[in-house]
Amino acid sequence: MAIAEAREPPAPRRRRLRLDLTTPSLLGLPLVWLAVFFLVPIAIVGAYSFDVYSLDPGPHGFTLTAWHDFIHSSIYLRLFWKSVKMSLLVSAIIVVLAYPLAYYLALSGTKRKYVLLLLLIAPFLTSYLLRVLAWKVILGDHGVINSFLFWTGLRDPDHPISQLLYSRFAVMLVLGYIWLPFVALPIFVSLESLDTRLLEAASDLGASRLQAFRKVTLPLSLPGVFAAFLFVFIPTLGEFVTPSLVGGTSGYMYGNQIVDLFGTGFPDWQTGSVLAIFLLLVVAVLTVVFGRFLQPRQVTAD
Amino acid sequence: MDVALSKNGARLLRAFFCFVVIFLYAPIVILLIFSFNDSPVPTFPLSGFTLHWYRDFLENADLRSALETSALIAALSSVGAVVLGVLASLALTRRRFRGKAAVSALLLSPLVIPYLVFGISLLLLFHRLGVPRSVLTVVIGHIVISLPYTILVLAPRLDQIDASLEEAAFDLGASRLRTFRSITLPLILPAVVSAFLIAFTTSFDEYAVASFVVGTRVTFPIYLYSALRFPNQLPQVIAVAVVVLVLSLGVVIAAELGRRFAERRFAA
Repeated sequence: MAIAEAREPPAPRRRRLRLDLTTPSLLGLPLVWLAVFFLVPIAIVGAYSFDVYSLDPGPHGFTLTAWHDFIHSSIYLRLFWKSVKMSLLVSAIIVVLAYPLAYYLALSGTKRKYVLLLLLIAPFLTSYLLRVLAWKVILGDHGVINSFLFWTGLRDPDHPISQLLYSRFAVMLVLGYIWLPFVALPIFVSLESLDTRLLEAASDLGASRLQAFRKVTLPLSLPGVFAAFLFVFIPTLGEFVTPSLVGGTSGYMYGNQIVDLFGTGFPDWQTGSVLAIFLLLVVAVLTVVFGRFLQPRQVTAD
Repeated sequence: MDVALSKNGARLLRAFFCFVVIFLYAPIVILLIFSFNDSPVPTFPLSGFTLHWYRDFLENADLRSALETSALIAALSSVGAVVLGVLASLALTRRRFRGKAAVSALLLSPLVIPYLVFGISLLLLFHRLGVPRSVLTVVIGHIVISLPYTILVLAPRLDQIDASLEEAAFDLGASRLRTFRSITLPLILPAVVSAFLIAFTTSFDEYAVASFVVGTRVTFPIYLYSALRFPNQLPQVIAVAVVVLVLSLGVVIAAELGRRFAERRFAA
């Protein structure tokens, strides 16, 4: 009987209607979770930046002082600009390095491309801090490189190459090392979905490989390149762990400044909140402007 | 003729690929070598083989408890993230509703927020609410950051499977829950396992958010971070590093092989 009922045309339609009412029960929990533990917390940081909430007891209310000071401070903005330059450089270099890797995997016709891709990406999936630790061991004044140089007599033990660790160079090297495997992934995806018949057509029409690359492959893989670039630029811009471990004073970044403002020494939550919200705004603008490259499905569909 | 690459070009790229792989694995191999080196400082020349850094690590109660705390937090937060991820992915792939683009943007937005900013935000929330920081506060944060990863794994899988199977079960009188249990869940199980593993490893390795909301029971990354500042613990930390790196590489490779095996079986 149940089957016969279900076969009647109106019945399924009514049930579909009821189905739609279940959408809130599916979405309710995830959305409430994100509202309470993601959106509200960010709003609270915003409230601190306008002094609506404050760490200090005593009178306070809405004010723009902290934002005014921030915009007119050369220290914070210069530090932000320095971090932007470091992240831009790291992202650009590793995208350029990762492109040929992805190209090789996607287009060389190698049979083991997924095995090789896994080999390339596996280090990214292991512990972040441990990979930083490895470089600390390698770059230190008495680290692997320097002690190797002393041992082989290429360098006097009293004069190690001390710029290796606790420098801007160290921060950029380690960040590049950490993100390189990951960057290859979106580029690989866009190259892999490339229709190779286009290349055959270009070649039949007399284009050289270089011309075909410049006119066909490269433009079609650009969404993947942009995605890769943003996927590195955004997290490295807000980076504070790597610079605090291998950066010393010259590798100090904007993120370290934020952490210090919330730190135990002389906390200034109001200024810290301004810096945090500013970083968030920059990231949000980047995400919205370049958002279509970040849509994983669109990257594959392009 | 190969249209994408000449023979020499392919050779050149292969050489470059090998060079990069060596660059990526060399630091890990160097850690491995020094974890067996009989010297309290990791310097050349090597001074002999030892296992006592591994023994020290096994006897170090703080380190063991940090590993246990991280495992607990990772287990709780990955279960939470997968449950929320399955619910959200079902809504995104099986339902039509207004504002879907905005909802999916919100669900994925923790992917791009700087973890530093998110960590501070949670700290201020718990501070305002007067909630003491603990294992639970870290779990809450980790669910938020793992959720988009689980959706990215689960939603494409749900898209792949034929929704008419679910409709058929439903039309035949199965309840919504029953349909999910006997049709949908078995079909997306490989993706659920991948999502769980990704969420677990994300949480286990997470430092930035945890550093702001952790209580007195420190997690493994936080223990590591503070240990990195005391050079005398370095060899022990290197030994742990090697164990964790090898284990996580193993999990990653096993997960990938398992997923492909399962997908091949479904495809057949």
